[in-house]
Amino acid sequence: MKLTLNWLKEFVVFNGSPQQLAELLTMAGLEVESLAPVRSPEGQDEDWALEVAVTPNRGDCLSVQGLAREVAALKGAKLKAKATASPFAAARAESPVKVDIKSARCCRRYSAAVFDSVQIGASPAWMRFRLETCGIRSINNVVDATNYVMLETGQPLHAFDLDRLGARRIVVRQAAEIGKFVTLDGVERALEPEDLLICDGDVPVALAGIMGGRDSEVHAGTRALLLESAHFEPLTVRRTAKRLGLHSEASHRFERGVDAEGTIHALDRAAALLAQVAGGRPSGRIADRYPRRAKTASILLRRRRAEDILGVELSAAEIEKILKSLGCKVQRRGKGAFQVAPSSARGDLSREADLIEEIARLGGYDKIPPTLPVARLHGGRADARLRGERAMRSYLAGEGLTETIHLPFTSAELNRRFYGLHRDGAAAVAVLNPLVQESAEMRLSLLPGLIEDFKLNLAQRVKGFTGYALGKVFSLSPEAEPQERQQLAALVYGKRERTGLRAEPTPYSFLTAKGLVEGILEQVGLGERVAWTNGAIPAFLHPGQSACLGLDQRTVGYVGEIHPDLSEGLSLPRYGVLELDFEGLVQYPPSQITVRSLPRFPSVERDMSVVVDESFPARRITDWIKGLGHSLIEKVEVFDHYRGANIPAGKKSLAYTISYRAEDRTLTDSEVQALHRELLSQMSGLFDAQLRG
Amino acid sequence: MDESVEHLRDEILERIGRCASESEVEQFRVDTLGRSGKLTLRLRGLKELPAEDRPKVGEQLNQLRRLAEEQIEQRLVSLKAEARARMLGGEKVDITLPGSRWERGRVHPLTLVMDEIIDIFLGMGFEVARGPDIEDDYHNFEALNMPKDHPARDMQDTFFVSQNRVLRTHTSPVQIRTMERRKPPLQVIAPGSVYRHDDDATHSPMFHQVEGFMVDRHITFADLKGVLTHFLRQVFREDAGVRFRPSFFPFTEPSAEVDIACVICGGKGSTSTQSSCRVCKGSGWLEILGAGMIDPEVFRFVGYDPEKVSGFAFGMGVERIAMLKFGIEDIRMFFQNDLRFLKQFT
Repeated sequence: MKLTLNWLKEFVVFNGSPQQLAELLTMAGLEVESLAPVRSPEGQDEDWALEVAVTPNRGDCLSVQGLAREVAALKGAKLKAKATASPFAAARAESPVKVDIKSARCCRRYSAAVFDSVQIGASPAWMRFRLETCGIRSINNVVDATNYVMLETGQPLHAFDLDRLGARRIVVRQAAEIGKFVTLDGVERALEPEDLLICDGDVPVALAGIMGGRDSEVHAGTRALLLESAHFEPLTVRRTAKRLGLHSEASHRFERGVDAEGTIHALDRAAALLAQVAGGRPSGRIADRYPRRAKTASILLRRRRAEDILGVELSAAEIEKILKSLGCKVQRRGKGAFQVAPSSARGDLSREADLIEEIARLGGYDKIPPTLPVARLHGGRADARLRGERAMRSYLAGEGLTETIHLPFTSAELNRRFYGLHRDGAAAVAVLNPLVQESAEMRLSLLPGLIEDFKLNLAQRVKGFTGYALGKVFSLSPEAEPQERQQLAALVYGKRERTGLRAEPTPYSFLTAKGLVEGILEQVGLGERVAWTNGAIPAFLHPGQSACLGLDQRTVGYVGEIHPDLSEGLSLPRYGVLELDFEGLVQYPPSQITVRSLPRFPSVERDMSVVVDESFPARRITDWIKGLGHSLIEKVEVFDHYRGANIPAGKKSLAYTISYRAEDRTLTDSEVQALHRELLSQMSGLFDAQLRG
Repeated sequence: MDESVEHLRDEILERIGRCASESEVEQFRVDTLGRSGKLTLRLRGLKELPAEDRPKVGEQLNQLRRLAEEQIEQRLVSLKAEARARMLGGEKVDITLPGSRWERGRVHPLTLVMDEIIDIFLGMGFEVARGPDIEDDYHNFEALNMPKDHPARDMQDTFFVSQNRVLRTHTSPVQIRTMERRKPPLQVIAPGSVYRHDDDATHSPMFHQVEGFMVDRHITFADLKGVLTHFLRQVFREDAGVRFRPSFFPFTEPSAEVDIACVICGGKGSTSTQSSCRVCKGSGWLEILGAGMIDPEVFRFVGYDPEKVSGFAFGMGVERIAMLKFGIEDIRMFFQNDLRFLKQFT
């Protein structure tokens, strides 16, 4: 809401500076967003323009008079009364028009005044200056006068050319079977049966509270007017305005509630203005239909309750003074209570809580001292998920990964390719009103965001990029219910940088990516429970350089290289990725740690190597040895994997270290030798392997 | 003292002082104390002296042997110390050369700020709750006292995923979900992503909020002021100016906007270089939080008796706080993940 200081001062005494006024309003919840000196083009008017942000509950402040009432209440100042003799008082004749409200549910009141001898022309400079300062374009003296009255009183008015209303009978009704209507901007609007129309007899002439019709508009030749001053239900106006995307100054006010008691006052003011700027004279009395008066609220306000909510002591006199300054009728009810009837302009005051807010607001929030509530000794501890996230971020930072955060929107195309831990063809959650088509779906995977970052940073010629994201992915269940899960994904490319002199960076490989996953699993205490498989590798991964992770029969992650077709398709170098069901991994309770006593006798290590087919998984031998459950075998680890010279084509060499240890003695050399030889001979019988060394 | 013994003593002391290495000391030991060393020979020659001189000269020679042994020992120790000092001196490094380490990854600035916010509230006894990003109309609007067709819905431009489901426009629905499930007393914060149909330098279609609320008997607006003032002074500075001014949210009454004194101009509205501070636009204040006493209607939706309990709620934008703390001017920086930007946060 824009207004000027001089205009406001026509209604209230205010002696402070414009800055003081801005501060006063801001601290009363009517935030002054801008304050600037203005001067009319002719230079005779010096003034200040204020823009006030009016919250949706304060429709009563969408006018100069409303804000003047507020200033008066805040300062304890007097409102200036204007001459009140109604220009219609002298009229003897009935109104030349009839008003018929068919839908009282949608229209509380409709007041219509008729004017003749109107001469359309330009508005005087002072009026144009005020309107334009307040953001309203000047049209002609009649339209300008209606807008001027709206800004001043908050009551929207609409002027019809009386000669274009053939029936001279205003009917307020729902559109029902009337399917379309051409508004004054020349656009044909499709109507819904519930839309509220103003009709001249059977002919629609305005969309109630929103915009008039092209065919009844005031024009240069207009001689007589019908001026509408009505009250339409907020919801009715809002539904239609929103559906048609038609937001006008009038609809803005009707949606937030205008004072049904004010229609006549607005017509009186308009009559005075029209006489002044357009020569218009009232013709007959006002036709006023008021089928549904608002029930005046009567609210019980308890002083104790107000004190309980606000946390300050309040005197009865103080409460009474504040409420009366807002135009409420206040009656004391016993010692600590009041019966309060707010003025018709304050439709937002209907409950005790509303009045308590007004007491705090007018009294000043700064008068309420801050206190700290008495704390109970509970809560205050990070939950498992938060602890898990924090530990994970710290681990990943140590591993050289940088956290990234993305908008969770992506395109249908990227979702189709990168479906993450979902099955191929999984249904994504679509946004019905996306900002752009490229972000029309919610991501199924965190990868598209990371790939986008990768591209952006590659353009900066980085040698390596290792980023991760911890965020939600979204999908639709088979029952079309949206589902969301928190996942962890990383993209690894190039070399991990080392600072220092001639530092050798480590290139990323499947094994470094796998190591990262192992570290993550260890971090969440699940290192041993997860099964690595390469049976069902998602299509977006390199079929030979990827693995899936299973836990309790569920796929909880994958790691590997992006399929070269996809990286080439996006003109990207080859890179590795991983994605894990973080939410699923951290839900497991931390395993109970029970410390084993430290060994008292030394262990003895023996190495062995086997030459096996390339497809032979290294793990088979460690699993087999562990499976023996031999009490003297403590540990077995792969320490080398080799292809090349001295190894036949299609074969590879694997090398293992086996640790032998007894709990109760130092093993002798010959004892270990015998054990190791026995192990080798069993193995050569079981695996198609050729043992070496 | 026998003159010749005294002479030998002087010679021993003089030679040991000249030994410059372990081998010279060893040579000296052989020459003096060895099988045919000077002192050994003198001791051996004792028996040739007159009987009455033997005890005295013998005692003098033995003293001299102990002195020689001591001197050798000391000389060896000091030679070792000198050698070690020479060696260490030779190993001196240039401490100004760069250290060698793996490059560490970074935590996103929004996470840094989010963690800081969460920790302050954990310290005040709050606990953490979460809710879905895809929220139903009931929890996002209806139960927060924003019925269908309420103009307050215009304050939050909404992304829809179906007729009845939206991307939550604020974290306030977690308030409803928590209260539906549990009974007071409650002291909860709910961090998370929220969505608005908006995209420019200060608005992102997705951003982060932390919602918080406290419900119990006798929780007052004064308590709201106390808790939030404490919070803001922890996040910004201990002496930060804080003001509460009336506002409107459908789910709180009374409602407040909470401002802090501008972090750039210190609340003056202008700086030495700008007549009107660019960050607070000359007002001296920055809007940082929305808050209020939970509306009785909201309590009715979750089945609490507003006559028996009261509470406050608040919500803040994490990006906004991070932008002010770090001097970031474009919100989109947070989501581009340019390493040159991210690496500035240590």
